Amino acid sequence: MNPFEHLRIAFDALLANKIRAFLTMLGVIIGVASVIMLVAIGEGAQTYIRKELMGIGTNLLIIVPGKTETTGMGRMPSGIQKITIADLRALEKRATLLNGLSAVVVSNAPVKYQNRLRNVEIIGTDQNFEQVRNLHAEIGSFISKTDVDAQRRVAVIGRTVRKELFGEANPLGRTVKIGETKFRVIGIMESKGVTLGMDIDDHVFIPVETAQAIFDQDGLTNILTQAINENTIERAKEQIKAIMMQRHAGEEDFTIISQQAMLSTMQTILATFTYVLGGIASISLLVGGIGIMNIMLVSVRERTREIGLRKAIGASQRDILLQFVIESVTLSVIGGIIGILFGAGVAYGAKAAFPVLPVDVSAWSVALAFTFAFFVGAFFGIYPAMKAARLNPIDALRYE
Amino acid sequence: MSGAPLIQLNDVTKVYVTGAIRYEVLKGISIEVRRGEYIALIGASGSGKSTLLNILGCLDVPTSGHYHLEGEEISAKSDTELAHIRNRFFGFVFQSFNLLGRYTVAENVALPMVYHGLGRRERLDKAKALLARVGLGEFTGHYPSELSGGMQQRVAIARALANNPAVLFADEPTGNLDSKTGMEIISLFEQLNAEGTTLVVVTHDARVAQHARRVLTLADGRMLTDKQNSIAELTGA
Ligand SMILES: Nc1ncnc2c1ncn2[C@@H]1O[C@H](COP(=O)(O)OP(=O)(O)O)[C@@H](O)[C@H]1O
Ligand SMILES: [Mg+2]
Repeated sequence: MNPFEHLRIAFDALLANKIRAFLTMLGVIIGVASVIMLVAIGEGAQTYIRKELMGIGTNLLIIVPGKTETTGMGRMPSGIQKITIADLRALEKRATLLNGLSAVVVSNAPVKYQNRLRNVEIIGTDQNFEQVRNLHAEIGSFISKTDVDAQRRVAVIGRTVRKELFGEANPLGRTVKIGETKFRVIGIMESKGVTLGMDIDDHVFIPVETAQAIFDQDGLTNILTQAINENTIERAKEQIKAIMMQRHAGEEDFTIISQQAMLSTMQTILATFTYVLGGIASISLLVGGIGIMNIMLVSVRERTREIGLRKAIGASQRDILLQFVIESVTLSVIGGIIGILFGAGVAYGAKAAFPVLPVDVSAWSVALAFTFAFFVGAFFGIYPAMKAARLNPIDALRYE
Repeated sequence: MSGAPLIQLNDVTKVYVTGAIRYEVLKGISIEVRRGEYIALIGASGSGKSTLLNILGCLDVPTSGHYHLEGEEISAKSDTELAHIRNRFFGFVFQSFNLLGRYTVAENVALPMVYHGLGRRERLDKAKALLARVGLGEFTGHYPSELSGGMQQRVAIARALANNPAVLFADEPTGNLDSKTGMEIISLFEQLNAEGTTLVVVTHDARVAQHARRVLTLADGRMLTDKQNSIAELTGA
């Protein structure tokens, strides 16, 4: 018998009982829609983080004081020797696989212009920062080598700082007070917004040695550098390690964080997060399947006489089995399609309403949800269908 | 009525076992059904008529004995093969009409043709012709619930004729009908037999037995009598 006929029989049976069919599908609809939505959120978050990490500069390496065991974020400094500008000079001289080195000192201080005041994170750095960190001054200029060497009191301010302190006025050449020290504004940074929870626009950049002087620090918060290319990241790390250890009495009292390592750690965390969300949603799909099985069992019982009749007029066990399996698969697949449309609709609707929301309906989640819905229907339909197929036609015809 | 019999039963028994109790419903039945016959199967309630009819129609299988269909033993046939035989060789009419309420009359009649593999168009055309043959040409698009009992039974007969069966089996076809509509069904059987359809009808209705060419009487699982035209002669019809 033509499988298309089985499909027609299934549709006729479902259309004869539309409300029940819809309610039966509802479990699958909700299950599939939540798989689609949750995976969309998880995947979107991954894309977002990847983009953010790419934005901080490819091949970026960060040398921080203290040894940590993990390759990722967060560290537990064991407080040994500081990283200094002398370390940076040594690396500059001897490391061949690095493309630019930039010293960084980070501290918080109030920044004041006339009667306006804002607490800002101050970054003391040097002329290489622009290139290594891929952040540039848009108006005026960034800190130069002379500014650093002469310990000049000049500052480059972020967009937010400019807006808060100067409003519409032109800040170039004006004097601001950082703590108790006066600085001349020489540049305004390009707008980068929030990356990785850090608002680039809400910073003030000053020469590194000036920062060390006013904050009374002789060490560095970190050294930023870049491997000359993607393939030399590991070798560059080895080189840094060798040079630094030699200078630190053979102690590995620092950690080299690579952008790659952060990326892969974040990816792993977020992928796990996505799978867990998807898994939870799948459980509701499974519950939907049990709903289908329940209704199919009722349906087989109700249609006992029909089954007996179909057998009498020439349906084989196989025909009856297929009829009921196709009916339950039809239920779950239609439920799956509605669920996909609904889930994707909600996901894109949310994205349209809140553009910052990282949402991304991926083809694989659609394929997975659909396949899963199909197999839920087939799996939970088999048992009721087998019951139907095995009915004795005589008993079935006599059934009241 | 010559040549090999269409159906031949040899010493067929049927035993039901319910727990520790054994019911021997058929105790060695041997009969032949030939093409073009009109057989009435009568007997007291519980004598095994329906059981015998179901075995003849391959809806049920004998516990022992032989069943030859056109000379071929069917006892070793698979479920699919038996379904195929029921579809191509036999038509069934039941006491309760067993029409499917969600299908139109024509779709109900076309149902056996679905399992025969006919396309929808062809099925419905044939169904309409069959409905005209049983006098219901006007009602093809109606639903069974819109028809009277007698009309529903005629739809069921049209359905039984769908694949031009070699034999039409009916189990108490007039049992749910008043005597007037019952008579209409009896006339229809008469007409179908005259047109060449082989009929085996289980009945309590004396009028059916009167019209049949051959009457088999079952008693307690055994064939009591097998008479040609006997009752028709006795009543002087
Ligand atoms: N599935 C079954 N299990 C046990 N006994 C059965 C079964 N089917 C029929 N019988 C018994 O077989 C006997 C004959 O039944 P049946 O062929 O329906 O008789 P009739 O049609 O002549 O009234 C009855 O006594 C009935 O109870
Ligand atoms: Mg009976």
